[in-house]
Amino acid sequence: MTSLFEPVLADLSERHRDEILAAFAAVENSPEPVPEAVATALRDATLRRSVEEMLNLIGRTLVRAGAGRWTSGYRDDIASQLTTGRLTGAQLTGQLTEGGGHALPVTDRAVLTLVLIHSVAIPRTEGTLTGDTWVEGTPTPVEELQRRTQLPRGELRQSLGRLRAAGLVRVVPARPRPGNGAQGTAYLPGPQFHRLTEAARRRLQEELILAAGPGTPLAAAIRRRRTHQSRTHQNGAPEKEHS
Amino acid sequence: MTARDTALARDTALTWARARSAGPLRVPAGTPAPAGMIKLPDAGGAEPGGPGPASPASAWLVPRVPETADARVLAEMGLPGPLLEQPNDTARMLAAVLRCCWEDPLAPVWPGVSAGSGPVLAVFREVTGPRDDAAHRRAAVAALRRLDQAGWARWDEPAGTVRLGPRVALWSSGDLATLRQLWRSIQAPERTSAIPALQPGAPEAAGPASPPEPAR
Repeated sequence: MTSLFEPVLADLSERHRDEILAAFAAVENSPEPVPEAVATALRDATLRRSVEEMLNLIGRTLVRAGAGRWTSGYRDDIASQLTTGRLTGAQLTGQLTEGGGHALPVTDRAVLTLVLIHSVAIPRTEGTLTGDTWVEGTPTPVEELQRRTQLPRGELRQSLGRLRAAGLVRVVPARPRPGNGAQGTAYLPGPQFHRLTEAARRRLQEELILAAGPGTPLAAAIRRRRTHQSRTHQNGAPEKEHS
Repeated sequence: MTARDTALARDTALTWARARSAGPLRVPAGTPAPAGMIKLPDAGGAEPGGPGPASPASAWLVPRVPETADARVLAEMGLPGPLLEQPNDTARMLAAVLRCCWEDPLAPVWPGVSAGSGPVLAVFREVTGPRDDAAHRRAAVAALRRLDQAGWARWDEPAGTVRLGPRVALWSSGDLATLRQLWRSIQAPERTSAIPALQPGAPEAAGPASPPEPAR
């Protein structure tokens, strides 16, 4: 048994340990959120707390993805360190810090941003989409992506292939247009977006507002709040601890 | 919990998260392994896109969860497994790399030996079956890139060599027993293969590009 998890598992019965380990493995590895029905440790609040504790030890947290479905994501404090590429403790080498720790090439990030803007951000601004999830939205037809991007078609196609395999976009049939019976391909954000915590979902929305309308009162309010938060932080306000 | 324990727990969590995001981590050899991670001495070979040729001064950190908490649980629960593009070609390429880089199947699988990409391609061709040469090469390049990105193999494109990746050190004795049978069922690559090495910068498979593996 890996000693890292021992403090969480030590006092449990064998059955509960197995259930907790299975639920932990399921939320960490399943490409889609895991229904409570298939994992006892996700149904039971006490066992679920142990799953959460295990995840916390490795920089992760349990995320609710709709009624009765669970997945895991990065702890907010850990995510912010991963994306700024800041190093603490072990001096890790090389590519980890390059580009702020982004795992995706810049082309893929650009294509993903287009999908997020057209499938979620615009419908949300127009009021046709409610809620704060980044998984549901209006599918963006591939022609729309071709029109909006500056990438050659081949590169766009390759990029969408990589994003799809990474679970960052998913393919859905496009709605047939009048006079055009053929069903095209359209894209929505993929199941990995279930893994965003509430704070991460809000941060993503704020980043898009800052990028799309930097001069708007909303952007000014976001900047003001962030400045205030970082000052509070520097003045030694206690951070949320997970251990 | 003391402040020192808290800082240590935080560093451990961050290192695990980095490994989830970027795959196995290359670190200076003196770096202590965080709780739950195994440390493997690096056996050499350049890390594509990494800080240059490896030296004995570096090591790999690989996260290890209890065996009953790995991805195999998904099948037992009736849940779909992780997405993988071209799973058959990718598995065949892993088998080819294993056949060429695991010289003695009674010895530990890690670190194995370095093999030329030519012999690896020859074994891949053997286990894949008839296809035209260009299609073979495209499929091989795409599969090797996928395995390299996910830490199952390391492909040094400029040098034309392939090694096993640090993740293979996680295979259990049960896995290894099965893999030994697979190893024996595949014909050994010829020492002096007539097949040239895969060229650096070779094009990937036509159709959807080779994807990065979901970060683990």
